[in-house]
Amino acid sequence: MSASIENPHFLLRRLHSLLGLLPVGAFLIFHLWENSQSRFGAEHYNEHVVAALKGMNYLPLMEIFVIALPLLFHAGYGLVITAQMRAELARYSYARNRLYWMQRISGIGILLFLLQHVGMTRIAGTWDPSVGDDLFGHMQAMLSQPWMLGLYLVGLLLSVFHLANGLASMAIVWGVTTSVRAQTLFGWVCVLIGVLLAAMGIHGLMGFLS
Amino acid sequence: MTEQSIHLRIRRQDRPDSTPYWQEFVISGRADHNIVSLLMALRENPVTISGQRVDPVVWEHNCMEEVCGACAMLINGVPRPSCSALVAELDQPIRLEPLPKFPVVRDLLVDRTRIDQGLKQVKAWIKIDGVWDTHEGAPRIGPSEWAANYLYSRCMSCGCCMAACPQFGAHSAFLGPAPLAQARLMNAHPTGRYDKTERLHAIMAEGGLSDCGNAQNCVRVCPKEIPLTTAIGELGRQTTVQLLKDIFGPR
Repeated sequence: MSASIENPHFLLRRLHSLLGLLPVGAFLIFHLWENSQSRFGAEHYNEHVVAALKGMNYLPLMEIFVIALPLLFHAGYGLVITAQMRAELARYSYARNRLYWMQRISGIGILLFLLQHVGMTRIAGTWDPSVGDDLFGHMQAMLSQPWMLGLYLVGLLLSVFHLANGLASMAIVWGVTTSVRAQTLFGWVCVLIGVLLAAMGIHGLMGFLS
Repeated sequence: MTEQSIHLRIRRQDRPDSTPYWQEFVISGRADHNIVSLLMALRENPVTISGQRVDPVVWEHNCMEEVCGACAMLINGVPRPSCSALVAELDQPIRLEPLPKFPVVRDLLVDRTRIDQGLKQVKAWIKIDGVWDTHEGAPRIGPSEWAANYLYSRCMSCGCCMAACPQFGAHSAFLGPAPLAQARLMNAHPTGRYDKTERLHAIMAEGGLSDCGNAQNCVRVCPKEIPLTTAIGELGRQTTVQLLKDIFGPR
């Protein structure tokens, strides 16, 4: 047996890193793309987007094993990692140090947002089928309240930041980018990815209000 | 050279377990002082700004040419070697504090055992006795590889990178950037590479490579401009390959 497998420390960290992109990050991209179709109106959204997803076979299993469990592990282990942070932002005001701090703070913010977000959509839908039957109307009613719209905007931007910045540090962790030049260039690629995802997400949020 | 008055604020601590306190000094000195020579001048007449004669300030210094690493401390809030910190280039009052993250022994003297522990943990040495013919010289390496390796050989274990690291400290087992960079250097050595797997396994355990948070403060404060974050990226790649070998074989 080899040391790195006997000792779970390294494996757990790499698993946390990997799950952040696959499936959690990939699901976020899919989720934003899916909801950007709110632009095409209530009928299209409820019948062609939501109903099509709800009609999928084995959906609960996929929700549990592809979304919920990886997300819970990523979040739980992320909190363990966050406990090790001693960021001195005033003393070391470098961009990467700020991003390091933001990655951990945004993680906590996303966790709080998701409790509210999943609770008022997916969980609420199990008690009250009308939530799922007219999800467009449900979202429209929620997002018409300015504070709720603000909350969703913050939750969206934190999630997109966390994914884009996570991608940049993931590339270093796995040894894809090693030179300063490669890390800087890929950092800008991640900025571009983040901006595009944020635009798609905001587009989708606004779609519920049109 | 004309003398000028230099204003100093020093964080002092009498014993490892006692409470630190600040003392201020104004001394008359030449403009070309560095912090080590300034502390030497202060040692001759340790009188505070209020006229009180106190114990001389304790600190470490050795080479005076930024190669030994002994004199690193926090100067105006930045971890750096004090021999290469020139008084003429510093804002006054100059604030001197012990290098953070390391236990204080007295005044500006800290216990840097953890750097040595880290170097031991990653086996940052070359075994010259072995089953192969040690009389034969090590295989030659190309100039570009030599040039890349040389950057890491400049490490003087001053601890500045570790002091600036938000993941390193009494609260965590993280080795810190300096020992990791030495693992990168030894893994590239023609003889040292025979123990590469051992070193990689050492940094794939608690306190190892994966405790790095990529805040990259280390590379900003390193007085020898060692590409620490590149070493961490390269070790990321080496451990990724090692992980695949560990899971799927062969070793």
